[in-house]
Amino acid sequence: MDLLTGLLTTAFLAGGVLALAAIGEVLAERVGVVNLGVEGLMAMGAVTGIATVAATPVPIFGFLAALVVGAVFGAIFAFATVIVRANQVLCGLALTLMGAGLASTIGRNYSGMPARASFEGVSIPLLNQIPILGRALFSQNILVYLIYIILPIGLSYLMFYTRHGLNLRAVGENPAAADAAGIRVTLIRFTYVTAGAALAAGAGAYLTLAFVPSWSDGVVAGRGWIAVALVIFAGYRPVAAALSGLLFGLITALGFVGQARGWPVASAILSMLPYLGTMAFIIVPVLAWQRMRRVLAAPAALAVPYYRDMR
Amino acid sequence: MFGNWRFQRLPSAHPGVAFAARAAAVIAALVFTGIILAIAGANPIELAAEVIDSSFGSSFGLEDLALLFIPLILTGLAVTVAQQIGTWNIGAEGQFYLGAFSATAVGLFVPGPPALILVLMFFAGIVGGMLWILIPTLARAYANVNELITTLLLNFVAALLVYYVSTGPWRDRVGLANSATPRLSAEVPEFWGIVHWGLPVAVLVVIATAAVFTFSRWGYEVRLSGSNPSAAKYAGIPVRRHLITVMLLSGGVAGLAGMLEIAGTVHRLQGGISNNFGYLGIMVAVLARGSSIGVIFSAALMAFILNSGIILQTQGLTTSAVLAMTGLILFLTAIGDELSHYRITREKT
Repeated sequence: MDLLTGLLTTAFLAGGVLALAAIGEVLAERVGVVNLGVEGLMAMGAVTGIATVAATPVPIFGFLAALVVGAVFGAIFAFATVIVRANQVLCGLALTLMGAGLASTIGRNYSGMPARASFEGVSIPLLNQIPILGRALFSQNILVYLIYIILPIGLSYLMFYTRHGLNLRAVGENPAAADAAGIRVTLIRFTYVTAGAALAAGAGAYLTLAFVPSWSDGVVAGRGWIAVALVIFAGYRPVAAALSGLLFGLITALGFVGQARGWPVASAILSMLPYLGTMAFIIVPVLAWQRMRRVLAAPAALAVPYYRDMR
Repeated sequence: MFGNWRFQRLPSAHPGVAFAARAAAVIAALVFTGIILAIAGANPIELAAEVIDSSFGSSFGLEDLALLFIPLILTGLAVTVAQQIGTWNIGAEGQFYLGAFSATAVGLFVPGPPALILVLMFFAGIVGGMLWILIPTLARAYANVNELITTLLLNFVAALLVYYVSTGPWRDRVGLANSATPRLSAEVPEFWGIVHWGLPVAVLVVIATAAVFTFSRWGYEVRLSGSNPSAAKYAGIPVRRHLITVMLLSGGVAGLAGMLEIAGTVHRLQGGISNNFGYLGIMVAVLARGSSIGVIFSAALMAFILNSGIILQTQGLTTSAVLAMTGLILFLTAIGDELSHYRITREKT
């Protein structure tokens, strides 16, 4: 395998974690709720995945169990932020602390153990003959196809080409107007926040069942926060979220290559790249292209709770 | 009968109700944790008795508590300071690391009498914290980039940096400790057992900050800019300049916490030195509800909770369980805060 194919293969694999979590966060933010609990949800998903697989060595069960756990925590978060309308920043930080704390408490028994079963690559005939990209994309595990092809395209279609998608975007832009038009604001917010949380936990399971694949304390290592930042970078669009996940996969892959080839840079310094890269990617575009601000703007009612009786 | 009860949302919560909601949140989280422990087969009453005996039963327990109290006061204050102008400094953790890092750099490489070195370390710690929040501050002030995410991302960079220098170029080559720097010779003197003068310094910093925000014209302008930026701008207040000053001040306070931890408590730089103090500082600030003086009380509470976790480690409870419980308190506090905005009234028929 030549260098470029290897780099891209790793990039797709590594970027999947961020892409999946970012797509989930796009769902929540499009309906007007900032979920800062992604980091905690990913940790819970990661430990759920590893624990499920330790009991029954079928990786897809681990992934599904993580989705369920994510949905449960997401529903609790949605209850607090959408129904009670508590401060979204505080609830998100609380979810991060709870998720990270619980996950490492539960995960003590699995620490350092490799996953008992992990997702294997599935080659797609013909497509994997495409030079460079074919080998890199079409011989990956099934979740990679879900993350880079099925979810982004499906959700883009749902969001931008259906009536329901128009409704859900209206809820994020102007809930009062949406409510007046008969759209059920609370129901839509609750549903998409919960679904987004499920995907975030799924990203955690992807991390421990497909990418690493093992559990160790702190395995999530800020990927949840990078995912939250990527949503801004991606202008709240599912396809762009998946692609920016891939871009970060590429940065991670470069770090790996650097380590493998013995570049004269300490691994701790190379590990800083994704965080510094994220900083650059959310600061530089705003400075460079003032006009992009409008195109990639956040939903107008983001992080604003909706009170029907206080219009 | 049920229909004439009305929930009415008030624009601001009554302070007494908000305080009661916080107390209820803390108690509910403690009870919930007790129930979980009971299900796991422990005896929560016995554990609580042990915690109280170990914390308050002896001078040693109180000294341990005080050592946790110092950094929590300052990280809590750092978050509270940023809140005054409506920003979230989630990066106190990283600024704490950089304060510790800069102070260590001075302690290791600058020759001179210990008293002078200590003073230099003090300023190096503050400047280190300020530098670490500089980019998020400028990005927020000039490009309106959300400071919440940028300050947080730098936490991971700071942790990696400290891990790198303490296991790499700065590591102790003489002693057995391979993952820490040599012991620093300049130390903050102790005044009560193992408790150092950082404690009165931290309390003084809190009082000074509270005084500035409450009584000075500058403090008034900052608070006005925080609660209504457009009105403040219209009134001719330099909102952007205040934003920059306040965020740098916040970073400096968190950096001071790191410096005191190095020079007063740990004496050598090592990975994980921040002990989650930065994140717990968010908790301290939220419980203090924007009051600088309140930080002292909520930091005391958090120090007790953190110390309980450390005591209970012998019983199989981990510090991560304490983190989870802290999250639960924060979650319930957020809900309680919102609920305390409501007034229940009964309409006369």
